[in-house]
Amino acid sequence: MPSIEIKRGEIRFQRATGPAAAAFTSAMLGLLALTIVNLGTEISQPFRDAVFGIGKLWIPGAQGIGPYSGKETIMLVVWLGSWAGLHIVLRKKDVDLVRWGIVFLLGLGLATTFIWPPTIDLILR
Amino acid sequence: MTTTRRREERGSSELRSLDASSKAASDVESGASLIFVVGVLAFIGAVVTLLTAPAQVMQGENAHAVTSALHGLVAGLFMIASTISLYQAYRLYEGKIAAVGEVQIATAVTAALSALTIIFGNWIYAALRTSGPPRGYYASMSPVVQKIFFEFKEHMALFTLPLAVVAAYIAYYYGRELLDNPRLRILLGVIVALVFFYFFVAFGLGAAITKLKPPA
Repeated sequence: MPSIEIKRGEIRFQRATGPAAAAFTSAMLGLLALTIVNLGTEISQPFRDAVFGIGKLWIPGAQGIGPYSGKETIMLVVWLGSWAGLHIVLRKKDVDLVRWGIVFLLGLGLATTFIWPPTIDLILR
Repeated sequence: MTTTRRREERGSSELRSLDASSKAASDVESGASLIFVVGVLAFIGAVVTLLTAPAQVMQGENAHAVTSALHGLVAGLFMIASTISLYQAYRLYEGKIAAVGEVQIATAVTAALSALTIIFGNWIYAALRTSGPPRGYYASMSPVVQKIFFEFKEHMALFTLPLAVVAAYIAYYYGRELLDNPRLRILLGVIVALVFFYFFVAFGLGAAITKLKPPA
């Protein structure tokens, strides 16, 4: 819960840490989604075509960009959608930033590792 | 409590609130001065570029040269903004930052430049997906190199956007409370450092692409 700290002659309102956790966790989820979709497009041609179709729905010039347009779209949707949801859930809560931060960094590490082409080649083999 | 003591306490609390409001005003002033400095630097860069760039080369066959130049220009500005943010991230980590306004402005500018770089990158990517130099040249040399210099680079660039926006959000949402919350302060510093890392990877690979020359 947000707390109110009263010092002599001064009232300070400290916001809950939940919104911060919601923000960076949603960024991690968006980037993990990007990684998973990228892997999917490498593995399956029908999935690749479906992702390309998603990008063509709204990005101008998506025809020239290819499935990358769909990957961007899915990343944006997962990131912003999860941010909205997590913010609603966590906006008045104080969370342990150390634990959430560790999960965030691990998630980011996984996303970076599995989007690195040699890792993808290893999986495909 | 005596009347005199009440008056003293009221006076000291008024002084503290004046102190707090003058600190807030100086935060806004330092943020405004940072915007002014960045604006002047950008103006100087634009004038030098316009006066010295070989504009005649941008016409004719290579219709994507202007888009490519814009992508490079915005990426260059992103480099400046992310470097400033990185320094502020270090100061945040050490607990030495006093003007939160500067952090707010730098993270906001970094987030905006990340978005613009990606938009212009999308624009130029359509041209790069065709055959011919430089992509065709790399693909003919080594598909593995093409995968890393093009495909890995474009994904790394996407990593900067959510992280930069989140950093700006935290800086603005918590404001001066960052100074009192070490964990949040350090976390913000880490996120800004990550933005710099992913930008650096994408920028380095992108700069390497510009050095490609098709075979004679």
